[in-house]
Amino acid sequence: MFITDLRKNFYDVVANQRVALLVAADIDALCACKILQALFHCDQIQYTLVPVTGWQDLSTAFLEHKEQFRYFVLINCGANVDLLEMLQPDDDSIFFICDTHRPVDVVNVYNDTQIKLLIKQDDDLGVPAYDDIFRDDEDGGDSGNESDEGSEPSGKRRRFDEGAIERRIERQRAKREWEARRREILFDYEQYEYHGTSAAMIFFELAWVLTKDTKDMLWWAIIGLTDQWVHDKITHMKYVSDIATMQRHVSRHNHRNEDEENSLSIDCMRISFEYDVRLTLYQHWSLYESICNSYYTACCFKLWTLKGQKKLQEFLADMGLPLRQVKQKFNSMDITIKENLRDVIEESSNKYGMKDIRIQTFGVHFGFKNRFLASDMVHAAAALLESTEKEQNDTTDNFIKALDSLSRNNLDCLKAGIDLAKKKLIAIQQTVASCICTNLILSQGPFLYCYLIEGTPDVKLFSKPLALTLLCKYLLKAFVHSTRNKRCKLLPLIMAAPKDVEKGTVIVVGIPPDSETSDKKNFFGRAFEKAAESTSSRTLHDHFDTSIIELKTEDRSKFLDALITLLS
Amino acid sequence: MDPSEVEFLAEKEFVKIIPNFSLDKIYLIGGDLGPFNPGLPVDVPVWLALNLKQRQKCRILPLEWMDVEKLEEIRELERKEDAFTPAPSSYYMELTKLLLNHASDNIPKADEIRTLVKDIWDTRIAKLRLSADSFIRQQEAHAQVTQIMGINHKAVRFISYQQEIQA
Repeated sequence: MFITDLRKNFYDVVANQRVALLVAADIDALCACKILQALFHCDQIQYTLVPVTGWQDLSTAFLEHKEQFRYFVLINCGANVDLLEMLQPDDDSIFFICDTHRPVDVVNVYNDTQIKLLIKQDDDLGVPAYDDIFRDDEDGGDSGNESDEGSEPSGKRRRFDEGAIERRIERQRAKREWEARRREILFDYEQYEYHGTSAAMIFFELAWVLTKDTKDMLWWAIIGLTDQWVHDKITHMKYVSDIATMQRHVSRHNHRNEDEENSLSIDCMRISFEYDVRLTLYQHWSLYESICNSYYTACCFKLWTLKGQKKLQEFLADMGLPLRQVKQKFNSMDITIKENLRDVIEESSNKYGMKDIRIQTFGVHFGFKNRFLASDMVHAAAALLESTEKEQNDTTDNFIKALDSLSRNNLDCLKAGIDLAKKKLIAIQQTVASCICTNLILSQGPFLYCYLIEGTPDVKLFSKPLALTLLCKYLLKAFVHSTRNKRCKLLPLIMAAPKDVEKGTVIVVGIPPDSETSDKKNFFGRAFEKAAESTSSRTLHDHFDTSIIELKTEDRSKFLDALITLLS
Repeated sequence: MDPSEVEFLAEKEFVKIIPNFSLDKIYLIGGDLGPFNPGLPVDVPVWLALNLKQRQKCRILPLEWMDVEKLEEIRELERKEDAFTPAPSSYYMELTKLLLNHASDNIPKADEIRTLVKDIWDTRIAKLRLSADSFIRQQEAHAQVTQIMGINHKAVRFISYQQEIQA
């Protein structure tokens, strides 16, 4: 059931209890976790934090902890599947689920006792009405009635029997019709997968209601929202309206302390609204590198072609920026250039067809040196979360490191994350360039398909879901810009990359077509399931996003064929 | 004494806070505290004030000597006199560090206060060095030191040890 009053029905309930926090491995979940941890520290609520990367992890974690804990808080996992059936909990376990995955499973919505959903109901949920999908079975009563009636005197029995049989046939027909309609409604409801309001924002609102919201929590909520935008989980409209909500909170915080006479210490955190250029990490890199490695500019200029490189040089000349300045670290650029940089870039980019070079976002500023944009933090934390630096990929270690990098006092963690993010972006750009130049993207009819071969450089980086999704998005955009085929521009993309060499598996990701007004609804989850069933391929649907699966390398071709037939 | 011990003792000083919760009077070994009512100022020791601040249950009001004009006066006085002048409080350095690290958003002009306190500290340390130096050169047996605070004791021992080695 949905919880509307978070404070009364969630926070006060867990106030004196021990809670198990099961957190999924994405940045929004990490931010929500940080906010909740800060609230728990304020009120000294004991909790255990367990990172989970998939359904199997979730089940194992639940089995380990179900003896000691009665209250479980699930962040960004658990809403889109029948949780009670999967976990088989005892009757007194209560689950609080704050998840952005939609559609929410109908069993979770209509369960009144054990499942509490911390989800805002004004999201476009579209949950089917109760009576359309559940109904009490009346057949047992009817047939009992009929047998009673059958003991009537024999003279009247024949007539009653005919009436009774007709009524029974009528009821059965109605039941079949109802069931057919139910299947249709459920199919429509569960067909497309999409995302709702950020979990971090929901917990920030809880903090606000408790008047325990601080600037740190506000910043984490902003990072959670930006993560949804960077990894393409929400539509542009929703992003803009959520930014407006956050902007109200930011102005509230800024008005509280700033005064002409009593200005704040320089060490205090200042969050400001920025209408900044869409160049990833540009303040921590050189402007030139940032333009080359941000997907928006790289795709619009087509930087994998020679013509594109020339266009870039023209663009820089048009802005009046000398190459020497542009290629050095951003912080060492001339102050006169840095002052009007955004306006200059916007003006010139309009001439080159990049209309949305600027995007609304927030930046933070504390101490004398430290300025970060929300998207910088998202990229850094994502790079740390999925880092393949160490040989044994310890997911818990990476999780804790990424969690630490979000705090203000772990700046070297954050710097390390930014370096990893730079390497990741460069790897993505190079892979995109090679895929386009060698025509690795094939049109299979209803969708586009690309497979990264074993020996591709940095392929280990792309065995992780977030990195692969980012690569997918950039590749699709680049493809749309480079192809002449009008039909291909509207196709979705499926990408496969080797995941585990010893086990011989690949990770497969599907994303919806790239368009300005896309509603980001992804139908590949159901499609993958059906295709796997029909070909009995050995697949693992372990990830919380149903559009990301693991597949055995040998079954790849028959799986693809099944998909093609399914989607044509 | 260890600097951490000195800081521990500094936390016993009282500071005014404005809580946002209510609680009856609490009876602790060190004394009675409270009652706490939202919006009404109450005196508590610094250790409790910092704990409550970190749990976002109160707002700390700046100490009366933590004011830019007062500190400027004290600094000028310190610079003029050769001997030590009364410091703002017995534990001014420790209190400044604690309060400005944890509650700098409640204290106006925190950066200037930090600079001024550091100036006062530097002046006093310089005087200490000078006097310890002259003390050892003149081979005096006793010296009268007034107005030196706990954290300076350790500085005295260190400086005199240094001087001993040089002499």
